[in-house]
Amino acid sequence: MAVILKYIIAGLVRFWLIHTDYWQTISNRVEIATPLNSWKRLIEGVYLYDNSINPYEGDSFHESPILLIFFHFILKQAPYIMPMFFTIVDLLTAYFLYKTSKEFVGLLEKNQEKNKDDIANESKSMLLQGSQLSEVPEYVLSVFLFNPYTILNCVGMTTTVIQNLFLSVSLWSAVTGYQLISCGCIAFATHQALYPITLIVPISILLADANKGCNKCSYIRTLLVFVLCWGFLIYISAYIMDGSYDYVYNTYGFILNVPDLKPNIGLFWYFFTEMFEHFRLLFVCAFQINALVLYVVPLTLRFRNEPMLLATVLITLSAIFRSYPCIGDVGFYLALLPMWKPLFSYLMFAYLKREFTLKHGTARLVDGKPAKLVLR
Amino acid sequence: MIGGVPPPDPGGGYVSDQNSNNIPSPMDMDSTRPSRKRQIEHSHLAPRSLREVMSRFQVEELHLTLTEGQWRHKQWGYPVLDAAPGAELYAWFSPEVTNIDNQWKKLTSTLAGLFCASLNFIENQNTINPQMSLWPSGATEHLSNSSSYLRYASLPREIVCTENLTPWKKLLPCESSHGFSSLLNSRLIHNTNYHSVGVHVRKICANTACTETFIEIKQTVALVYDFKILNSINWSFKLLFGQGLLGGCPLASSSKIYIDITSNSTTHFKLTPPPNKIVESHRGGSEVTLAIYEIKPDTAMLNIAAKQGTNNRVILNIPPPLYFNRYVLGYGKEFGGIVTEIVNNYWAPIDIVLSENAPWWLPIQLSTLRINGKAKSKLVMGQYYSPGRSRQKPYHLELLLRLPPKSTTTVTIDFEFVFLKWQEYPPDANHGFYIGSALITANLPTAKNFTGLPIEGVTFDSIFNASKPWYPAVFRTNGAMVSLPTPDFSMPYNVICLACTVVALAFGPLHNICTKELVLKATGAPLGLRQKLINLFKKKQD
Repeated sequence: MAVILKYIIAGLVRFWLIHTDYWQTISNRVEIATPLNSWKRLIEGVYLYDNSINPYEGDSFHESPILLIFFHFILKQAPYIMPMFFTIVDLLTAYFLYKTSKEFVGLLEKNQEKNKDDIANESKSMLLQGSQLSEVPEYVLSVFLFNPYTILNCVGMTTTVIQNLFLSVSLWSAVTGYQLISCGCIAFATHQALYPITLIVPISILLADANKGCNKCSYIRTLLVFVLCWGFLIYISAYIMDGSYDYVYNTYGFILNVPDLKPNIGLFWYFFTEMFEHFRLLFVCAFQINALVLYVVPLTLRFRNEPMLLATVLITLSAIFRSYPCIGDVGFYLALLPMWKPLFSYLMFAYLKREFTLKHGTARLVDGKPAKLVLR
Repeated sequence: MIGGVPPPDPGGGYVSDQNSNNIPSPMDMDSTRPSRKRQIEHSHLAPRSLREVMSRFQVEELHLTLTEGQWRHKQWGYPVLDAAPGAELYAWFSPEVTNIDNQWKKLTSTLAGLFCASLNFIENQNTINPQMSLWPSGATEHLSNSSSYLRYASLPREIVCTENLTPWKKLLPCESSHGFSSLLNSRLIHNTNYHSVGVHVRKICANTACTETFIEIKQTVALVYDFKILNSINWSFKLLFGQGLLGGCPLASSSKIYIDITSNSTTHFKLTPPPNKIVESHRGGSEVTLAIYEIKPDTAMLNIAAKQGTNNRVILNIPPPLYFNRYVLGYGKEFGGIVTEIVNNYWAPIDIVLSENAPWWLPIQLSTLRINGKAKSKLVMGQYYSPGRSRQKPYHLELLLRLPPKSTTTVTIDFEFVFLKWQEYPPDANHGFYIGSALITANLPTAKNFTGLPIEGVTFDSIFNASKPWYPAVFRTNGAMVSLPTPDFSMPYNVICLACTVVALAFGPLHNICTKELVLKATGAPLGLRQKLINLFKKKQD
């Protein structure tokens, strides 16, 4: 009951804010709308498409062609459902995050039960209790529904709302083991914003865990399905644009090259406004590697047993370091953080410390002498 | 060689000077024998430099103007040839040119050298390709799709000065030693409200069948004087140019000065010396009386002057049939809009083509286009839009509008401010950025205030009684200025350091997590100071 009430209140708040006079101001704020996801540019793209001008010829539209014809269709048929549409998509995102965290808590409990024997005796009290676990999904739901960042993002009617939905669905289906849905959704999110490509790693681990059997086969299968889905989306987009792949320059090219230096909450615009032209390419590459591939391998090696934590970290890092971040991305990763609520008391290196403590007990002693935890 | 001085109006006096050379060229229109085109045309009177530019870059028609100041159509009526503030250049290339953009770049660079103007800053990012606004006026082979061979660019920031006037004078057969150009004393003409010099080159038919073409080179200068600066409502050549005219150019076949004395019937003024001839011209519902002075090379020093009567104080200004205004909307540095207001003062509808040209750093959004506040308007009869791309292509919108009689039409379009890279800002970035003027091409149904030459006209006398169903004219609106957000230019190192620190702050802990493991390390009993020091050295030795 309380859960439904949350949905209703959150939905009403969003719906009402869209209909206030502040909507225009909100949807134009640089923190909310970036050149990639802004409603204004979507409208412009649809308008150009409607007037049979290629929206990718100029610099005004950077969304995927699939979303272009989708919104073209809706805005032609029933423009008045737009506020409703964005509200519902955001609520769906919240629902799937809730489901994800529920599944995740179930997995956590199962793993805890399985590994009970490895846990040091005195640390037994640190094991997660039922009540601790059951409140996690509630927190996830509330944080997503009532975080001002996600509310403003939804009210600004940015396409990040749709991207968040695809991310949450892919996480949920990965935890539950629906390979095709998961890969399809992450492929769409990648098609839209490129950076979610890193998530294919935790998702393939999650899928392999959920579907028992040959791990390596599962990884390969997941990767294959993802690549096929992504390729299919790219092909479909080109088909929509009359077989022309020019849109790639305006979507992925725009994300990777960062030609628009309008301020946002990220680092790129600030850095590249004052960058010496000579070094621009070097630093664009360095920053994109930092955002895309740098952390994937080491973090995967470290957290291979905790794919959900890996996914959270990767989502967080890409939200911070992507070229056009907005508060919608921040709101999404903030909603994932309550899953790790039991770790909050450990703060720095929380997960590692907890693992260590579970294994060796709370006493910090080496050969009976006091010792301290250090990284080596 | 023609000079015209319309009567003084409340704004000031207007002097227009035209110089035309027709140079027969054996250029053959027969494309089956391209070898004949190698025979280069003689340059007896025409400047060889321009001639070579035309043939080398295969230019069919060329228009270049360098202008300082703003022509006020509402107060001053229409000029003989309108010009955009700053530098404006447009040219049609021959259909044989394969890479027009490349050729255009070469042409602009060459003209930049020829006229000492910054025309070399014309690149793809500020060049447009007007579809409906501009039409060639000369004899061209490709009338049907002429727009694909056309390139147009304007540099509103260009400052026109003596260094541009000198090369312009050098193109004349008598340079600045004889003839009208000897009047152009840069000390005085740059003191005017408006001055514009131009070179217009086109091809005209040499015979009725048009099997051969001439090259026509027309050099124009337009000056608008301010009576406030002159400090007198009477004018004379001495006052305007600092000297009288000492004969025409001996190489000219005819040198004439036309003075519009139509208003003499209402506001009396007296011309001294008396003109050689007075001509009345009836053209499209307007009556113009012109006083003509024929200048011979051996004419003695001529100082034409007009002395106003005593009771000429109230002068009513009747605006022309079509005038316009352009301004920038909005506050802050996020969003803004450009408004073009067009007034049709005539009793019949007027068809115009409005060509808006926004630089790439001023991205306009077509979806925000409003005409009289409405997104969909019946006034729009045609539309062309070419979206811009950052650092590559300007935004270009052309609207074919039918202006209802006695109406004001406002065309509004929104734009977003763009943040440039710090090296892309011009010197004195806080001065603001100029937006070039919009082109307004109109088919005027009346010749009221219209002084332009008919398309087949070569000299100014072709306007006499030249009534036509309509009078095509190309006008330029005033330019505008926006203030783009500017970064702190002094801080590139700080910014780079700060941004890199943020990345390092994330990288450090992640590196720690991924490469190290947690171990317990004995701390033991608290150490004395001595032991600590020893430990310090020990570590260094390791």
